[in-house]
Amino acid sequence: MRGTLNDQSLIYLQIAQMLEDDILRGVYREEEQVPSTNELARGYNINPATAAKGINLLVADGVLYKKRGIGMFVASGAEETVRRKRKAAFYDGFVRPMVKEGASLALSEEELLAMVQQAVKEGEEK
Amino acid sequence: MNTAVLSARGVYKSYGKKEVLHNLDLTIEPGKIYGLIGRNGAGKTTLLGILTAQNTLDQGEVTYDGQTVWENQRALDNICFSRELQPTLFSGQNNLKVKHYLKSAAIYYPNWDQEYADRLLDEFKLEPKKKICQLSKGQMSMVTILIALASRAPITILDEPAAGLDVVMRERFYQLLLEDYTQTNRTFIVSTHIIEEAASVFEQVIILDEGKIIENCPTEELIDQFRYVSGREDVVDEVCRGLEVLSTHQMGRHKTAAVRGGGVKLDAALSADVDVSPMNLQNVFVALCGHGDAQ
Repeated sequence: MRGTLNDQSLIYLQIAQMLEDDILRGVYREEEQVPSTNELARGYNINPATAAKGINLLVADGVLYKKRGIGMFVASGAEETVRRKRKAAFYDGFVRPMVKEGASLALSEEELLAMVQQAVKEGEEK
Repeated sequence: MNTAVLSARGVYKSYGKKEVLHNLDLTIEPGKIYGLIGRNGAGKTTLLGILTAQNTLDQGEVTYDGQTVWENQRALDNICFSRELQPTLFSGQNNLKVKHYLKSAAIYYPNWDQEYADRLLDEFKLEPKKKICQLSKGQMSMVTILIALASRAPITILDEPAAGLDVVMRERFYQLLLEDYTQTNRTFIVSTHIIEEAASVFEQVIILDEGKIIENCPTEELIDQFRYVSGREDVVDEVCRGLEVLSTHQMGRHKTAAVRGGGVKLDAALSADVDVSPMNLQNVFVALCGHGDAQ
């Protein structure tokens, strides 16, 4: 988990995102237990209700599930679920702003696509 | 679990000609940490005093579990208001010792936890034999924090507990508060001027402005209603139409507006050629209570 929270987005969203990051990185594998609401509250000095809200968000998305009396666990197929969610968020959070920024610089569609292709190529060469 | 609600209805309070609280309503539900914020002189301490029957009120009523709190032993047993300590008492120095304060708290609060108090005394490195007037401002805050936590009262109120504490101690205080809250699920009301670092601890935030409660809602729900919108003046004006604009700041043609609006309206702003950025609790507080003083 990341060491600190920032104030650029709501805390419960950051908690959910950090847990997702850790699932993608293999910190928590499928069917493994994740930290409890109280552990998260203690670890980040946040209100337990806020931590619970973050966890519940992931439960609603099918990333985590509750074992009664034991705690929260990573659902099977969670990694795939998170990746699918992130792809949708990638479109809204990166691709669309990029196109908007391109438009404000009066880049044509061809120029923009050429830039993306070049960046992909440079990435492959590294 | 405790289900008793602390509630104020139609409270008026004046000091001489100055009206401090104006027809104030407030409901404190059990099992939450409330943050009370307001500018200097907004009436925070007066309000907390009235909630705990330590101040009189001119009109209105404060009840706990349906019973008036005024001179009601049963209600007051359940409420702890740990006031800021003063280095002077009446006209002289405050020569009472730390141990005197602890002893009277132990008598006054029926749920007093002596073992917890001793542990905190040790952690805070407070000398029981020291006089209050010999303590630093931070140490006085520690005494009030100690009394509040060890009171184990179902409703515990702290007035400016962070005042005078260094940053390490402030973090430790919020840690202790959360630890105790997790174990006991009692209700806390904490007033503070150091807003940002406390925002994540508060489940609910109460904003007091000019003698009225202007907000009492879940912290993140409140913050999420606000955005900064900035860009070229005419585009910003266009985007902000229909939104509540709290303050604006202009540099040449560049304009930044602090706005409040529901999710749908804010989404519309995202598709225009402006920058939209979130606020934190401190920004929200300044936007709501700044009244154009400092921009």
